Amino acid sequence: MLGLLVGVAVFFALTGPHLWNLYDSLKTCKAKGDCDSLTHSLLNEYNKYFPFAQAFSLVLPALLGMFWGAPLIARELESGTYRLAWTQGVTRRRWVLTKLAIVGGASMLAAGLMSWMLTWWASPIDTLNASRFSSLVFDTSYIAPIGYAAFGFALGVTAGVLWRRTVPAMATTIAAYVAARVPFFHFVRPRLLAPLKLIVSLKHVGNIGFERTSNGVSFIAGGTNPPNSLAFSTSVVGKHGGEVTQRWLRDHCQSLLQLSNPKPGKGIKVTTGIRPKAFSDCIDKITATFHQVLLYQPANRFWTFQWIETTIYVVAAILLCGLSYWWVRRRIT
Amino acid sequence: MSSALFATDLGKRYGRKWALSSCTLDIPTGHVVGLVGPNGAGKTTLLHLAVGLLTPSSGSLTVLDEAPASSAEQLGRIGFVAQDTPVFESLSIATHLHMGAALNPNWDAQLATQRIHDLGLDPNQRAGRLSGGQRAQLALTLAIAKRPSLLVLDEPVASLDPLARREFLAILMEVVAEHDVSIILSSHLVADLERVCDYLVVLASARVQVNGAIDDLLATHHRLVGTRRDLDNLPESVHVIESSHTERQTTATVSSADPILDPAWSVETLTLEDLVLAYMGQAEEQRRELVRPKGGVK
Repeated sequence: MLGLLVGVAVFFALTGPHLWNLYDSLKTCKAKGDCDSLTHSLLNEYNKYFPFAQAFSLVLPALLGMFWGAPLIARELESGTYRLAWTQGVTRRRWVLTKLAIVGGASMLAAGLMSWMLTWWASPIDTLNASRFSSLVFDTSYIAPIGYAAFGFALGVTAGVLWRRTVPAMATTIAAYVAARVPFFHFVRPRLLAPLKLIVSLKHVGNIGFERTSNGVSFIAGGTNPPNSLAFSTSVVGKHGGEVTQRWLRDHCQSLLQLSNPKPGKGIKVTTGIRPKAFSDCIDKITATFHQVLLYQPANRFWTFQWIETTIYVVAAILLCGLSYWWVRRRIT
Repeated sequence: MSSALFATDLGKRYGRKWALSSCTLDIPTGHVVGLVGPNGAGKTTLLHLAVGLLTPSSGSLTVLDEAPASSAEQLGRIGFVAQDTPVFESLSIATHLHMGAALNPNWDAQLATQRIHDLGLDPNQRAGRLSGGQRAQLALTLAIAKRPSLLVLDEPVASLDPLARREFLAILMEVVAEHDVSIILSSHLVADLERVCDYLVVLASARVQVNGAIDDLLATHHRLVGTRRDLDNLPESVHVIESSHTERQTTATVSSADPILDPAWSVETLTLEDLVLAYMGQAEEQRRELVRPKGGVK
């Protein structure tokens, strides 16, 4: 695992300067006017490596839990060496706490280093993509990975202590880690603070159109989140309430429904290309009556969220370590 | 005189099964104590309780007049060689010695190095590549170099071949001679213990059957042989452990503090093995009584 970490570090060290160089010239390009091509070349060249680095950073806490956390005490119990270790002239309390502190600290350090490298390397890309708050970027940069590493490690230790065997503990660790993280960023994170509300006219919304469904035609509109924000929900709501229903479309866009009749699931027409008059008429009517309501976490809450999430996972790690310690002291006796 | 091990009504339960129960012992320091009993009798449980790896489910226990594993200092005064002599397979002998030095207040580095040298072991060798006998010697070295007041060994020779077994016990005897140390070692074979022990604890069916200095035990236990008769007529002070009857003859293994003067009995001395087997037989008999269904009908 250390080897992997070193490999990633070498890759960052080799490509980072060039990436930053491109980015710096991008900042001064306005005068020359070749910004688009520069942006394009930067993203083109480096966006393809980005997911790999992110994926490694995402799974690193689980790996730390599996390979450093799970065997920490389980291997001693499994091989019987606990009988040697716990009868030396140190108390079991000190033995457990020292192991937790050293290996747990090393796990957090490893994740911190990885995060620091990735944050530095990817920051030009994140700036250009304006995606700092997206879950992939949020989860792999700044301090949150340290919290995840502490949590993954503690999860491994706890699984090891409960199973008293390394291999099932490793499997439990990765399963429990995924189970604790995925629902969190999916459901919990957007609700950590009350989201802000933004009302946008449908005139400014891209990817607008209709989709034929099994029971008629439904209206679709893409999201328009402010840069670097975290989307909570996007909905199209009537200025006086209500939604764009089948009935509303039947009442107001009769001509649209009589257009060519493709199979369900196929779009009638989306934003680009030539729009039949019936299409744009209907869009105009919808725009006049409805608007888009965005609920989101703004970009300036990024650090608040990093701290909240790091704290939550570190506290969970401390609780798990406490459980492991209690179990070793009271149950494995 | 202080106690090496003092237990009052000590018990350990796993789920609903008692691995050890009603164990009351007072073993003075300065002895080499043999703990003998069949497999599964509770020997390991008793020794793990003594070194603090387990905590009692009932009763109380002190070792060298302190609760086991109550402090680093207490742990440092007890050397423990666990069953199958566990060592860290991936670590070298030298690393094991460093570990011992770092973790134990009274560590005798010179003694440890000297012993490894005397055993002809290469300090850089990985512990996982040692033979069973060498590994046992490494484990013993780690325990002795702590300069313990009490050395506890759980079936230390069970997995060794006869030669390694003899060597191991010889070294153990050297240690007793050189250092002022009490020893408790367990075995399911009396023969292993007979040569080295002067104190015996017989454990069977999770209970202590008998314990005492071996000389005292041999002096107070006899085998009585006579014509067939009822054993109820024996004096109050004579306690029958085991008896058997043939058509014409009665044989009984008894304990009695007083000499047996009844001329109707011929009194024979017991070997240690006879004594241990008699108590194990008694325990087995009691166990059968307990599980036999009432009424005797299947």
